[in-house]
Amino acid sequence: MSIFTPTNQIRLTNVAVVRMKKGGKRFEIACYKNKVMNWRAGAEKDLDEVLQTSSVFVNVSKGQVAKKDDLTKCFGTDDLTEICKQILAKGELQVSDKERQSQLETMFRDIATIVAEKCVNPETKRPYTVNLIEQAMKDIHYSVKANKSTKQQALEVIRQLKESMEIQRAHMRLRLVLPAKEAKRLKEKLKTLLQVVESEDFDEELEMVCLVDPGCFREIDELIRCETKGRGTLEVLSLKDVEEGDEKF
Amino acid sequence: MGHTSLDKIIALQRNPANIRNLCILAHVDHGKTTLADCLVASNGIISTRLAGKLRYLDSREDEQIRGITMKSSAISLHYRNDQDYLLNLIDSPGHIDFSSEVSTAVRLCDGAIIVVDAVEGVCPQTQAVLRQAWLENIRPVLVINKIDRLILELKLTSQEAYSHLQKILEQVNAVTGTLFTSKVMEERAEKEKKEEEVEEEEKESKILSGDQVYDWSAGLEEADDSQLYFSPDQGNVVFASAIDGWGFRPACRTRPLADFGFAIKSFHIQAVEQVKGKKQLFVQLVLDNIWSLYDAVVTRRDKEKVEKVIASLGVKVLARDSRHSDPKVLLSAICSQWLPLAQAVLSMVCEKLPSPIDMTAERVEKLMSVGPRRFDSLPEQTQELKRAFLQCSSGENDPLIIFVSKMFAVDTKTLPQNRPLTQEEIAQRRELARQRHADRMAADQTAAESRSQEGQPGLTLKDSQPEEEDQQTFVAFARVYSGVAKKGRRVFVLGPKYDPAQGLSMMPEGSSAWDRVPAVPHLSICSMDSLYLLMGRELEELDEVPVGNVLGIRGLEECVLKSATLSTSPACPPFIPLNFEATPILRVAIEPKHPSEMPKLVRGMRLLNQADPCAEVLIQETGEHVLVTAGEVHLQRCLDDLRKRFAKIEISASKPIIPFRETVVRPPKVDMVNEDLGKQHKVAIIHQVKEEASQGRPSDTLHVDHSGLVTLTTPNRLATVSVRAIPLPQEVTCLLESSTELIRTLEQVNMSLREGKSLDISPRTLEAIAGLKAQLESLLQGRKWRNAVEHIWAFGPRRYGPNILLNLVEGYQRPSLWQCLGRGDQSGEAGAQAAGMRDLDNSIVSGFQLATLSGPMCEEPLMGVCFSVERWDIQSAALPQHQDSLKEDSISHGALTDSRVEGSSETWTAGLCQARRRPQAASADCYGPVSGQLIAAMKEACRHAFQAQPQRLMAAIYTCEIMATAEVLGRVYGVLGKREGRVLHEEMKEGTDMFIIKAVLPVAESFGFADEIRKRTSGLASPQLVFSHWEVISSDPCWVPTTEEEYLHFGEKADSANQALKYMNAVRRRKGLYVEEKIVEHAEKQRTLGKNK
Repeated sequence: MSIFTPTNQIRLTNVAVVRMKKGGKRFEIACYKNKVMNWRAGAEKDLDEVLQTSSVFVNVSKGQVAKKDDLTKCFGTDDLTEICKQILAKGELQVSDKERQSQLETMFRDIATIVAEKCVNPETKRPYTVNLIEQAMKDIHYSVKANKSTKQQALEVIRQLKESMEIQRAHMRLRLVLPAKEAKRLKEKLKTLLQVVESEDFDEELEMVCLVDPGCFREIDELIRCETKGRGTLEVLSLKDVEEGDEKF
Repeated sequence: MGHTSLDKIIALQRNPANIRNLCILAHVDHGKTTLADCLVASNGIISTRLAGKLRYLDSREDEQIRGITMKSSAISLHYRNDQDYLLNLIDSPGHIDFSSEVSTAVRLCDGAIIVVDAVEGVCPQTQAVLRQAWLENIRPVLVINKIDRLILELKLTSQEAYSHLQKILEQVNAVTGTLFTSKVMEERAEKEKKEEEVEEEEKESKILSGDQVYDWSAGLEEADDSQLYFSPDQGNVVFASAIDGWGFRPACRTRPLADFGFAIKSFHIQAVEQVKGKKQLFVQLVLDNIWSLYDAVVTRRDKEKVEKVIASLGVKVLARDSRHSDPKVLLSAICSQWLPLAQAVLSMVCEKLPSPIDMTAERVEKLMSVGPRRFDSLPEQTQELKRAFLQCSSGENDPLIIFVSKMFAVDTKTLPQNRPLTQEEIAQRRELARQRHADRMAADQTAAESRSQEGQPGLTLKDSQPEEEDQQTFVAFARVYSGVAKKGRRVFVLGPKYDPAQGLSMMPEGSSAWDRVPAVPHLSICSMDSLYLLMGRELEELDEVPVGNVLGIRGLEECVLKSATLSTSPACPPFIPLNFEATPILRVAIEPKHPSEMPKLVRGMRLLNQADPCAEVLIQETGEHVLVTAGEVHLQRCLDDLRKRFAKIEISASKPIIPFRETVVRPPKVDMVNEDLGKQHKVAIIHQVKEEASQGRPSDTLHVDHSGLVTLTTPNRLATVSVRAIPLPQEVTCLLESSTELIRTLEQVNMSLREGKSLDISPRTLEAIAGLKAQLESLLQGRKWRNAVEHIWAFGPRRYGPNILLNLVEGYQRPSLWQCLGRGDQSGEAGAQAAGMRDLDNSIVSGFQLATLSGPMCEEPLMGVCFSVERWDIQSAALPQHQDSLKEDSISHGALTDSRVEGSSETWTAGLCQARRRPQAASADCYGPVSGQLIAAMKEACRHAFQAQPQRLMAAIYTCEIMATAEVLGRVYGVLGKREGRVLHEEMKEGTDMFIIKAVLPVAESFGFADEIRKRTSGLASPQLVFSHWEVISSDPCWVPTTEEEYLHFGEKADSANQALKYMNAVRRRKGLYVEEKIVEHAEKQRTLGKNK
């Protein structure tokens, strides 16, 4: 439904605007889509591939170019390229479709990798592959939140996955040494936190090797530290209790 | 010949002299199964009309669809000549992927029918099967098939066809000849070697050496090879067209030739006219007749002549056949009566192939002597078994020896005992039951009704049907070599490593002691639940199977994985393992579609592993389920089996994950264009920009000096570590890699020592540890490594990997890693400062472990990197007043335990001290406990130190052995070159025209390698891949041109393919790490059309 397009009007399609407020003024530059993030990450090194034009605007869509005075006042220079670089580095930007897509994809992968690293199949004590976790995440329709860290989301995913498949965080193997006096009392308290007690040796001190959920580590640490006033010790024997080596059927 | 009854076959089984065990071998599509069809049809199991079209022995659905055989299957046939013969025929697949099935078939047979296509001649698989038959010492006979193609497709004249056939015969004989000469050569070499050994042993070699005149030609001349070759004179060649159902054997002068004579008289038309020189008798007598028959029936469709021929041959042809629009029908109707194929082949088989009784002593010895052991060295009782073998008697007291060559799965439903009964059988059983019922009524009148019901067949039948409807039962594909197999009999199952001498010594005298058999390694006991006669897809239950027969055994799935030797005598040695032509090399990772179905997949893969002689299944450390198959087609079959039979779930197969390692190397002396780096100044603008971007961030806590020493301070600024990464020499890496087990024990010993417990270490491990130390010392020499071995702090990752943490901190002494070697001289005394630091020792090690577990390039483990800690300061705030604990330190037993325990307690008090100083922090430092911070700092320091050095990726490398003939050598090189392989050496196999090429190939490039090489060489080269080592990829993944020369050569972007970068990015992408890549290559080129345009 185009009404009237003057032939000499240059239409900027394929534009991503980067804005920055400085010295009470708003400046905008016209960039190509899907390029600004690459520039910021350092993957794109050619400025001409990023900028549509090296002029600085007050309003890109209206085509209002910023006044030279304002530029010098706010940026302390009238070198347009330099100003553009500054705006590119610090301004707020519109994330374009492909950028968003690749960002979410990377995060999705990252979450799956973290989950695969942290978890095992409780039956075989072997990790799941990343592919399988990705598949499972798709099956439960997990949607990635761009503003939450991948680690946080990975923990969330583990919780959700537990409902649909056999999965469990790989246990940590800890060695606890508790002084004899507090041992009994402490053991009661610890009982709920320890998943499996592999060995228990009670002579002068109580020595235990046990598997715990990594989520409880802090709690156990705190408990032992406070209750024994620093005389009990906690040693991490292995971060992940998994089967090693290949197995042939 | 009508259908042979089961009783007849059972009767025949008892006469080993008239049993022939044979298999049909050939290249793919040369007509094995069609030939088998004709033979099956001769027994009336299928109609002669359908023979060649039905492919009766291809019982799998995919076999029928694809039109190739995928498994070997057996059928017992009855043939009546002047005597009754029982033929156990095994059809085998021709495709190279299934050559393992051929091996399983060949082992059970005494003879083989080699089928060769008259048009295609000798093909790669023909050679392979001939070799296999040769290696198993079985006698082959030849069938040249598809003669009809010579007539109808190639339109050869009979004379041309004759020379063509002769050529094929020569080809086949040439292959046999090569096999023969190579064997003779080998024997010779062996003999000479032995003689040399003898010579060396006996010092009086003077006398001997005088006699040692090597006569090179002697070996070949001495050995007799007259029996070896195929020749029509010897009667071991049949010319046939299995599809048309005819075949004849020239040497057999009884019927066919008489017929020929008759035929010559009646319709021999042109032969005389073309006398040009002398026409061979064979052409004249045989081929011409066939040619004119084809001419009359198929080409010209001359009704009259056909009638004449039919009349003169005395063949009866049904009206329906002669009126059929397809002349082939008429042709096969005539031919199958005139020159019946089954007759020709079967008579040849019965005459030429040996019966089980005729088994040669040589073959028996070969079967029974495993590995390097010679037959003579086996125990006496074992040698006695050889007699049983040769006698082939099926007496009650003869030892039973069975070889199981494969396990195959059948639906439990189709087993004879579960099959729905036929009307007759039901009637029979009812009669039986009624009688029993009556008997019981008479015996016990009171409790009649209810109990007698139990005797009824209907009920028992229901009971016997297991709950699991679609269960798979494994049936062993086996042959009796001695004695009688009886249903329910208990046998020893001998694993491939079983040693009869050991078994005998451990076994109580007399084999009656079945119940209390001592635990002999590789020996178990099993009972044969049922025995079956194999009839293609059907099984017939038998009570006993005498010697020399092929049979199926149920009830072994617990004890037998793929193949085994069964015997009632513990003296029996296991047979030599099957000789596989193709080893499994195609690896894929298998995953269920739905993650929750994992257990089903695992179960299915276990079953598959048992059912397939060639497939291998393993779970890798990464959690991948890997299936290794022989090739693309084999893979398809395995996946099909998994989907439809074993797992019954949706699965997907994908390229397996390829592992990499990260390492550092010495800074290169020359740049990428081989210019000396020292003289040039760096232009690197881009490079510098990047470096700033990547390292400019944590400027205040991190400091990197130009020599690569990285100094990092913890966030609370209390501890500082300085780390440098140094490449380890390659030999050291190899040594560490190979001695992981030892390092692991060393680590355990150290751990217990630290706790003050004295663990008793066997002197042998101590010796081994000392040996390792000495080796390391000898490898780590030079100024840089002075005293390095003494200062080793830890290995990593996981405490036993191929990376070293070196303690070069001045004034910090910690118990040596080698303390278990000299326990006396270790210094228990250490300064207060050091003792305090020792508490945090563990944190440094943990940091190192974490850093080595995943490197900065693509989070893969490090390899061959040495991190030396050159400075480690902890400010006093982190190390609180330690004096109080000092006393205890020196008092307590092992000094070390205590200080450690105390130490960690100090850590916490340290935290408290800080808390006092900084009230704003709640309980401890806002950055968490010191130990944790130190771990993180150490990890980061290691990573930065790593990045400060030139980094490289290491790729896993396969060694690849390829057997190829001379003509495809170039293609092999081509494929290897394309996939970044390097040829190490190539040599010719003596006595053959085969070359053996040894090459290395990155694992990353190996996916689809086998398939490609086979395709390109039309199957003439067969590779084998074995993982060998890790190799540094020479190109730098982070490389950008820095010198002027490089700019000139590569341009500013340097976008020529960088193999290492490609690998690294692939891994990073897979893991969801950041990949430095443009989302859009050219900004201008993307188009977003506006709404109003």
